[in-house]
Amino acid sequence: MSAELKIQNKLGLHARPAAMLVQATNKFKSEILIKKNDMEVNAKSILGIMMLAAEHGSSLVLTVSGEDAEQALNAVTELFERKFDEAEEEENG
Amino acid sequence: MLKSFFTDGTLMKKTLKVSQFYSQQKERFQLSLYTQERTLESLIVNHEVSRPGLILCGFTKKFAYDRTLIFGETEIVYLENLPQKELSTYIETMCSFDIPCIVVSKGLKPPKRMVEVANRRRIPVLGTTLGTQEFSRKLTGFLEQYFAPHTFVHGSLADVYGVGVMYLGASGIGKSECVLDLVERGHRLVCDDVVHITRVGENTLVGMADEKFGNHMEIRGLGIIDIFRLFGIRAVRSRKRIEVVVELVHWEENVAFDRTGLADRTTEILGAELPLVQVPLVPGKNITVISEVIAMNYLLKLKGYHSAKEFNRRLLEEMGQGSYIDELSE
Repeated sequence: MSAELKIQNKLGLHARPAAMLVQATNKFKSEILIKKNDMEVNAKSILGIMMLAAEHGSSLVLTVSGEDAEQALNAVTELFERKFDEAEEEENG
Repeated sequence: MLKSFFTDGTLMKKTLKVSQFYSQQKERFQLSLYTQERTLESLIVNHEVSRPGLILCGFTKKFAYDRTLIFGETEIVYLENLPQKELSTYIETMCSFDIPCIVVSKGLKPPKRMVEVANRRRIPVLGTTLGTQEFSRKLTGFLEQYFAPHTFVHGSLADVYGVGVMYLGASGIGKSECVLDLVERGHRLVCDDVVHITRVGENTLVGMADEKFGNHMEIRGLGIIDIFRLFGIRAVRSRKRIEVVVELVHWEENVAFDRTGLADRTTEILGAELPLVQVPLVPGKNITVISEVIAMNYLLKLKGYHSAKEFNRRLLEEMGQGSYIDELSE
């Protein structure tokens, strides 16, 4: 299963949202990959996610395969749509 | 089983715009431009480089026009000595093909007629002050690397006793911790988590670290650490040929692991075959020493000494079955 996701939060996929993403992906058994342009990484690896240097507005392709693929896809999509709770981050600045 | 660690499909660059090549490599190749800038929109589509050959006499059969053509002293002198009519005809014939790029070496000047026709046909004509052989070699090397198939793999690559060992395995299984331990023991980290693999040559794979973040590792519980700052220059490498693949797996009762070492399994990455070792993880087992031994064993095999085969040979001798040795020595 795959889906295209857009980075909506201002600061892009830096350490804090990357950590949130990794916490989420590691809950699932499925294999989860994230791709930006040419580079595809394992979404369960925080280093990999951050190396994508996905800035605000960039488009990523999420590919999931495994028994809980659908749940995994939904969980990740939700995180992106919630902008990784950036508003809270700004408040707590 | 290993498929899940590799991304889907091989990545390969399909084209190189001459404008990109010209602007990025101008200094390195000492380039200049004879035709108009708009000819730089032309696309190089493969790594092939050659001299024009018999097309300069009008022989069009078997003309491999999709290559970058290098004009050396021989070609320029030949063209300069041609009567105008022949020169025009041959140049027109040559330029009627979709040539990606022409380069004139040794600082020589292309005939005016050639630049005229090339402009019209939108074929870029570059110049280089480098000698023909030198430029040809360097350009071929550059293009081969540019067009080489490559991919990204989730794993860790380390230089253990000079052997490029790549660790693969599920997230969290301990690849990074193993490599960290190896670094502590004096070996070198190439990259952790994301290995950028390029195939150079028939069966050779090179793994590279990300330029900006390649020196970092993620250790569960610790987070991200900078190996270069912690351990110094001797602990890192920016690229290494991948020679052995080690797959770390959870030990399972009914999975048959290679007990003798005679299997000599291999795995395929980007069409190249690499030796594969599967190591079962059991709590308490020291993966680090096993890793070092894998590297050392590989070096021994390169020297011609295969421990497991040697053991079996002596065993057969002991049992008086010397005659079967050759049969079984695969």
